[in-house]
Amino acid sequence: MKLLLVCSGGMSSAIVVKAIEKEAVKTSLAVEVKSVASGAFADEVKNGWDIALVAPQVRHRFDFFQEAAAEANVPVIVIPPQGYNPLGGAIILAEVKKVLG
Amino acid sequence: MHKFFELLDKYLIPFMTRLSEQRHLRAVRDGIISTIPLIIVGSFFLILAFPPVPFLAAIVKPYAGQILIPFRLTMGLMALYACHSIGYYLAKSYKLDGVSGGILAMAAFVLTSVPVAYSDKGQALLMENLGGGSMFVAILMAIFAVEVLRFAKSNKLTIKMPEGVPESVAKSFEALIPAAIIIPTIWVIRDFLGFDIHHFVLQLFQPLVLAGNTLAGILVPIIIITLLWATGIHGDSVVGSVARPIWLVLLDQNIAAAAAGQPIPNIAPEPFFQWFVWIGGSGATLSLVLIMLFSKAPYLKSMSKASLLPGICNINEPVIFGVPVMLNPLLFVPFLFGPITIGILTYFAMDMGLVSKPYILVPWTLPAPIGAYLATGGDWRAILLVLVNITITAALYYPFLKAYERKLIREGAAGELEEEKK
Repeated sequence: MKLLLVCSGGMSSAIVVKAIEKEAVKTSLAVEVKSVASGAFADEVKNGWDIALVAPQVRHRFDFFQEAAAEANVPVIVIPPQGYNPLGGAIILAEVKKVLG
Repeated sequence: MHKFFELLDKYLIPFMTRLSEQRHLRAVRDGIISTIPLIIVGSFFLILAFPPVPFLAAIVKPYAGQILIPFRLTMGLMALYACHSIGYYLAKSYKLDGVSGGILAMAAFVLTSVPVAYSDKGQALLMENLGGGSMFVAILMAIFAVEVLRFAKSNKLTIKMPEGVPESVAKSFEALIPAAIIIPTIWVIRDFLGFDIHHFVLQLFQPLVLAGNTLAGILVPIIIITLLWATGIHGDSVVGSVARPIWLVLLDQNIAAAAAGQPIPNIAPEPFFQWFVWIGGSGATLSLVLIMLFSKAPYLKSMSKASLLPGICNINEPVIFGVPVMLNPLLFVPFLFGPITIGILTYFAMDMGLVSKPYILVPWTLPAPIGAYLATGGDWRAILLVLVNITITAALYYPFLKAYERKLIREGAAGELEEEKK
């Protein structure tokens, strides 16, 4: 499963990437997770991701991200705020599973 | 309090986010951000030329002129670099060719300057016209150029290339007619009618720049950024779209004064907020993380351990969304009034000359005391002020954190001793 995270500068999402990877190891789930800054999203989302996750603090740019993701047929969701922290991996993976089944 | 958050959500948030996502402002934001590596590395040479240690300063003094060259050609030409990027991003936002947008923007901007003739050395452009002080001219010219490009494209004012011409060649011809409109237009205005675009734009934006450097000018961004973060929106990125050009002009004036060995004029370029107010991230949350390390609630304690390193690097999303501070009526009070208090204190400390004014841009992920030291060109009193500010905000957070902790324990939400599992 390939997850692409986007936040403002790609800094905070890097922390959340770690949280997701940790949770994935715990539940023996094979994931590839990457984080990008807002400006790099439109180009990166074309590179074969299963789902794009928008950090809650940039949710006001959701339409912009969705437009870019739609061109690549990638579903987009906003990460629930309570999951966007170093201990929130489980919450995020649960949301991802809701979309990807 | 919930009413208050609802009001924010209904009025302030949609207004501010729509403003910051406005196409031209977005291009300005992305364009300026793309020049930050040049500004950071460039201003590093300014520290090299004027090191904070007197002993070193004496050694490098004879070479200061040479050391400053990379600074002058990066930071000193900032508006030129930014103009190209703004043109690029604006063109991309219209799904036009980004490179054409960038080149046309740059040409329009350069044309607003008149070369000066030197008898034996040829012609020279005043670098002053291409630096941060001319940022608003660069922005307006980039917008003008790309709007012409768009106008030409949507009205089919392009030169059609026959089939088989490579795409890159065809694209360069797409910009031909827009260039033929842009170049003569600015030439007529600037050189024929003798209208000084730089002077005019500078006068036009001067009130904004002056206002940005007042006490109100620091409090307005502090309050709006904090209110946005209190609802979990990236306040700095939103407000920065509007305020960053002003901060850059203030920074440019400071840096020019520093390079000329004159007193630093402005208090409020962006490093003021970065190092003295947003210590640990917006809301000055490093102090909150520090006092949470001693929390009785295991949940808060484990959250603070996980947030400490990011917090030292001024990344505080873990605190905002983890604790959470977002939509938290108890923590909202110190989250707002902490930054206001230390903002006012820092403003007056710099106004009275107790601490040097910031003029160097260093990467925002440095720990605040180091960042503050470097940003002020090596003033140890800046470190002291940062520590004082951390203490003040810690004292403000403390009673509210205790109240929040009691609430968590009462609700049975204080958590198990999770962190032991590691």
